[in-house]
Amino acid sequence: MTAVATRPSNTSQGPSAPGLDWRLIGRQILGILRLEVRRNLFSRRAFALYFLAFAPVAVFMIWTISPATNYFSGPAEAVAQVFAAVFVGYLRTVIFLSALITFMSLYRSEILERSLHYYYLTPVRRWVLVVGKYCSALISSCCVFAVSTSMLFLLTCLPWGPGAASRYILQGPGFANLSAYVGIAMMACLGYGAVFLLVGLFFRNAIIPAAFIWGWEWINFGLPGVLKKISVVHYLRSLYPIPLPENMAETFFAVASDPTSPWISVPGLMLFTALVLTFAGWRAGRMEVNYEGD
Amino acid sequence: MAPEQHAASNEDAIVFENVSKFYGEVLGVNRITLKFQPGITGLVGPNGSGKTTLMNLMTGLLRPTHGGIRVLGVSPDQPHKLFSRLGYSTQFDSFPGGMSGYQFIYSYLRVHGFPHSEAHNLTWQALERVALTDAAKRNVAGYSKGMRQRVRLAQAISHNPRVLVLDEPLNGLDPMARAEVIDIFKDLADTGCHLIISSHILHEVDMIADRVVLLSSGYVVAEGEIGGVRTEMGNHPIQVLIRCNKPSIVAARLFDHDDVVEASLHEDHQGLEIRTRDADRFYSHLNEIVLAEEIDIDTVTVADADVRAVYQYLIGHEGEAR
Repeated sequence: MTAVATRPSNTSQGPSAPGLDWRLIGRQILGILRLEVRRNLFSRRAFALYFLAFAPVAVFMIWTISPATNYFSGPAEAVAQVFAAVFVGYLRTVIFLSALITFMSLYRSEILERSLHYYYLTPVRRWVLVVGKYCSALISSCCVFAVSTSMLFLLTCLPWGPGAASRYILQGPGFANLSAYVGIAMMACLGYGAVFLLVGLFFRNAIIPAAFIWGWEWINFGLPGVLKKISVVHYLRSLYPIPLPENMAETFFAVASDPTSPWISVPGLMLFTALVLTFAGWRAGRMEVNYEGD
Repeated sequence: MAPEQHAASNEDAIVFENVSKFYGEVLGVNRITLKFQPGITGLVGPNGSGKTTLMNLMTGLLRPTHGGIRVLGVSPDQPHKLFSRLGYSTQFDSFPGGMSGYQFIYSYLRVHGFPHSEAHNLTWQALERVALTDAAKRNVAGYSKGMRQRVRLAQAISHNPRVLVLDEPLNGLDPMARAEVIDIFKDLADTGCHLIISSHILHEVDMIADRVVLLSSGYVVAEGEIGGVRTEMGNHPIQVLIRCNKPSIVAARLFDHDDVVEASLHEDHQGLEIRTRDADRFYSHLNEIVLAEEIDIDTVTVADADVRAVYQYLIGHEGEAR
C-alpha cells in the first residue's frame, strides 16, 4: 500500500464557471450512459425487457406457421390490417409494461440495491442525472422494440413466401409501414418512459399508479378534448400508417374521436415528455438518499 | 473578526449554522453549530448519536429541516460545485452489480466528466493507494469486507478531493490495513485536506484525529482538541471482546501486564472480555501472546457498551460536557 499524498485539486474541476458547461455535461451524460445501458441490456434487470419484447414474437411465430391460420393468404391490405391490430395490442400491453419496468427501475432498483448514492456523490446536476438515465433506458428500449417490432412485421409476411414478401417490403408500402410502426414503438417508449421515470421517483410500489395510467390510456377516447392530450396514446393514434379494421378500432381506439395531425402529435409528445422530465428533474433535486424503509 | 475575514475563513471551512434534522418526529440532529477547519476531525458517538446524519447533511444526501450548511463556501444543494471538491465513503456496504473494483471507480470518474485517459490514471492511483491493484479486475461481490471498505475509500479519494468524509472507515480492516489507512489519512491531512471521520470507538479517533466532536442523541456534547479527551480516557479503561480458541490462556497471559484491570471468560469458553487502561500496550501484548501460544483469533472488537460508559464519564448524567 502506498501512502504518497498528492496535492488535491490538480485534476478536479473546481467550482463551475457561471452558466452551464455543456461539454462537461455531455461527458457526464456519456458516463451515465456507459453505466446504465449496460445495466439495462446486459444485467438481470434486462431479462424482463427481453422476455416481454420477444415472448409475443415467439407466440406470433407459432401462430403464423400454424396450418389453422389462414389470415395470411388474403390480400396485402387485409394482412396489413391484421398486423395493425396485433401491433396495437403489443403497444398497449407489452411496450407499456416494458416501459413500466425499465424506466421505473432507473431509480427504484438503485434505491433497493442501495447504490444510488454513488451517483449523488458525483458533481452532476440532478437534472443531468435524470436526462442521462432516461436516455439510457430510451436507447435500450428503442433498440429492443425496433428489433421485436420488425420481427413481428416480417413474420406477418412470412406465409407469402420470400418473393411476395420482399416485393411487398421493398417495392410496395411494406417498408414505409414497418418504419412507421418502429417509429410508433419508439415514440411510445419516449412518452411512457418519461411518465414511468417520474412515477419511480414518487412511488415505492408501482402497482396502483401503473394500473391508474393503464386505465387512463384505455379510456382516453372517452375523455374531454383537453384531458385527451394528457396521455401518450392520444399522440400515437395519428401516426398509424393504415386505418385499423373497424371492429378493432372500436375496441382499441374508438376512432370516431378526432385524431391529431402527425405534425402536431410528434412535437406534442416531445413537449409532453420534456415537461414530465422537467418535473422529474425537480423531484430528483429534492430527493434525499436515506434508504430507510426501502 | 471582521466580516470579510469571517467570510474568507468560511471559504476554507465546513460550517453548520443551527442545523436540525428530523425524520418525521424522530430527531436526527438538533441545533448543530459547528465549524470544521482543515485537518482530521473525529465525529464520535455511540450508534444512533447522529454521526451519519451529520455526514449525510454535509454531503447533501439529506436536507436539513432547519439551518444552513456551507462546505468550502458551497451549499450541499449544488452537487456540481461540491463534489469535485468532496469525496464521501459511506457506511452503505453495497455496490452496483457486476463490476470489478477497477470498473467501479473508473465508471463513476467518467460520470464526474473525466475523459478516459484521466479516469484510467486516477483509478489506478486510487487503487494503488489502498493496495488493491492485485484485486482490481476481480468482481467487487467477491471482495472481503476489508477490501470492500478499501475500494469505497479508493472511490472517495479517486478525484483528489479537498474534503474527505469517511463514515466508520476502519470497520472491517485488519490491523495492518488499519495502520496503512491511517497513514493515508495523515498524509492527506498534511496536504491541507479536511478529513471528517466518524467512529464509535474513541481509542481509534484518538490515534487519528486532531480534533473531536462528541455527539450524543443528536446533540453536540463536546468539541475541541483531542488532548482533553485523551486525558479523560487515560483514566477510564476500555473494554475489548475477544473470541478465540484458548481464552483462558489469553486471560492468564494478559493478566501479567498491569494495564489489564479485568478479564472475564465467556460461558461457552470461546471468548473473553478484557478491560484495559492502555489500548496500545494491550494490542501489542495481545499480538505477542497470539504468536507465542499459536492462538486462533476469530474477532477482536471494542465493546460499544464501553463507549457508552466513557460517554457517561465524559458528559455526565445530565448530558453536559465535562
